Amino acid sequence: MQPHVLTIRKRDVTRWLARLLETREVIAPTLGPCGEIVFSEVRAAEQVVWDFENPLPPPKQFLLPQTDPIVRIQVNGHGAQVEPIHDGRQRVLFNVRPCDVKGIAFLTRMHEMEPADASYLRRAENLTVISLACNTPCQLGFCVCSDSGPFLNSGHDIQLTDLGQKYLAEIGSAKGEGSVADAASLFDPATEDEVAQRKKLEAEAKERFGEETCHFASAMRRVSTRRVDDALWERMSDWCLECGACNFICPTCYCFSVKDRGGDGTWTRCRTWDSCQYAAFTLEASGHNPRAQHGERVKRRFFHKVSAQYYVRDGMTGCVGCGRCVKVCLGTTDMPAVVAAIRKGAWHGQ
Amino acid sequence: MDNDVFLPHIARIDAVRDETPDTKTFTLRFREPEDSKAFRFLPGQFVELSVFGCGEAPFCIASSPTRPETFETTIRRTGTLTDALHQLGAGAEVGIRGPFGNGFDVEGARGKDLLFVAGGIGLPPLRSLIRNVLDERDRFRNVTVLYGARTPVDLVYKDELKEWETDTGVEFHITVDNGLPGWTGNVGMVPVLFTKTTLRPESTLAYVCGPPIMIKFVVQDLFMRGFKEESVISTLERMMQCGIGKCNHCAIGHRYVCRDGPVFNYKQIRELVE
Repeated sequence: MQPHVLTIRKRDVTRWLARLLETREVIAPTLGPCGEIVFSEVRAAEQVVWDFENPLPPPKQFLLPQTDPIVRIQVNGHGAQVEPIHDGRQRVLFNVRPCDVKGIAFLTRMHEMEPADASYLRRAENLTVISLACNTPCQLGFCVCSDSGPFLNSGHDIQLTDLGQKYLAEIGSAKGEGSVADAASLFDPATEDEVAQRKKLEAEAKERFGEETCHFASAMRRVSTRRVDDALWERMSDWCLECGACNFICPTCYCFSVKDRGGDGTWTRCRTWDSCQYAAFTLEASGHNPRAQHGERVKRRFFHKVSAQYYVRDGMTGCVGCGRCVKVCLGTTDMPAVVAAIRKGAWHGQ
Repeated sequence: MDNDVFLPHIARIDAVRDETPDTKTFTLRFREPEDSKAFRFLPGQFVELSVFGCGEAPFCIASSPTRPETFETTIRRTGTLTDALHQLGAGAEVGIRGPFGNGFDVEGARGKDLLFVAGGIGLPPLRSLIRNVLDERDRFRNVTVLYGARTPVDLVYKDELKEWETDTGVEFHITVDNGLPGWTGNVGMVPVLFTKTTLRPESTLAYVCGPPIMIKFVVQDLFMRGFKEESVISTLERMMQCGIGKCNHCAIGHRYVCRDGPVFNYKQIRELVE
C-alpha cells in the first residue's frame, strides 16, 4: 500500500470518532475518577482527551490483559472438556503516543516468533492504532534515545499531528486506511506545506529534548559482554523494593504465569502478568532458586532490556523511552539511572 | 496438533505405579486417537501436564518413543500440583501440551559407546533414552548404566533395574548412599561406580542426570578421567510456565531451557551465563 497523507479539521474529529464508535470499540485517554488520565473504552467522542501526558498504565493491557482468560475447562462425569477462549473484538486505540506504538510493535514481533501466540495475534490483528505525535516532549520521556519518538516514521496505522486548526493524518497501513474509509468526506489530501510543517514540528520537538539522557549503545556493549560487576548489580538492587511496578507499567514487558481460576469442576485458565523482579519468579518446587540474589534479578531485567543478544532477536531495545519507570519506581532503579550506572561502572558514585 | 499453543489435549491415566514413598509413575494415553498420532517425541523432551484446577507444570517423558501407544512420566510429590496429581488414579483425565524442548540427539549417538549416570529421581529422563537404545540395541556400541540413590527405597523402576542387571545388552551398576538392612550391593555415592566399569572417554557419550550436587561431582570426575566437555550431556531444570520460550521464567541469558534445552552438553552449559 502506498502511504498517503490526509488532513482533518479539528472540529470534524468528533464526527470521525462517532463513525468509528458505530462499528468498533474505541479506547482512548480519558479523564479518570481522580483527575488522572487513563486509557479506557469511550462511549462518546467528547470523552477523548487531546491534551495529555502519557497515562501511567500503558495501553498494553488491551493486548495483554493483566488477567487474560485463555482456556475454558470443565470436568464432570463425562470427563474433561477444554476450549480456547477467543477475543475477536474490533478495537481502535486512539490517541496513543509514538512510544506506546513502538511498544506494541515490540510485543507483536515477539509474539509472532515461532511458535506464534494465536491469542495475542488475534487481538493485534483486530486492533487499529491511531497515534498522536508529540509536538512537545513529555517531562520524563527519552524516546529519542531508543528511536521511538517523538514522531513515528514507520510502523503506524495512522499518525496524527496537531497542526493548529487541523490534524495531519499519515496513513501507514491497510487497517489505517480502513478506519478513515467510513468517514472519507471528512478528510482532505494534505498539501505540501502541511507535510513540511509536520517535518518542522518533528525537528523542533527533537531539539527540545536537549542532550541524550539514556545512552543505550554503550550500556549495551557492557551488558552484552558481561562487563558489569555482580557487586554493582547488587548495589543497584539495594535501591529496588521488588514491587514489580516497573514491569507492569512497561510497554514492552510481557513475562507471565499461567493459573487456573474457578472451582467445582469449572475453571478458566488465565495468563497473568508476572515480574522477573520477584524472587518466586524462578523458584522451583524443590526449593532451589537460580536467581535467589536480588542483584541477579536486577541484572536479568536489564539484560533482557538492553543486551545485544536480545536486540538481535527483537530488532530493537526492550525500552521505548516512555519514562514511566522513572515515575513509578519507589527507589531509583529506573532505566536511565541503571543505564548510567552500567556506563559509569558506579552507582550513586560508588 | 493445532496452533493454539496454550490448549491442552486430554489424556487419560492408564495406570499408576508406586516407585518410592513419594514418587509415582503415570502411564498416559491420549483420549483422542488423532492426538495420540500427532504426539511424536524424542527422549529428553518434556510435556506440560495440567491437573485441572491446579494449573500445569513441566515433566519429562520417561518412556521411549519406540513404544508410542502410551507414554509415561515419573513424578515426585513436591508441591500443590504434584500433590493433586498423586491423588489421581487410573481413569482420571489430565491435560497435555507438548512435546517441548530439544531432546537427546539419538541419531548422533549412533555407533557410540553410551554411559548413563543417574542419581535418584534423575533416572526418568535418561530412562527414556536408555529404553530407546535398548529397543534398537544393535545401532549402539557398549551401553553402561550407573545408578545411585540415597537408600534402596529411593530407587525408581525397581523391576526394570532387575532386568537391566541380567540383560546382556547393558552393563549395569547400582549403589546407594546408605544401605538398609538386607542391602548387599554397593554403598557410596555414584562416582564409586566408575571403578567398577571400563571407561572409554574417546568414544563415549556420557549422559548425567540427578540432583545438582551429584551432577557436580560426577561431571568433575568424568573430566578428570578424560571426557571432553562436548561429550558430557545433561538436562537442565528451571521454573517454567509456557514451555515455548514466551513466559521468560526459564531464561538463562538469552537462551531458554524450555526451547533451546533442556538437553545441553557441558560446553553449551558453560556458555550459558545469567
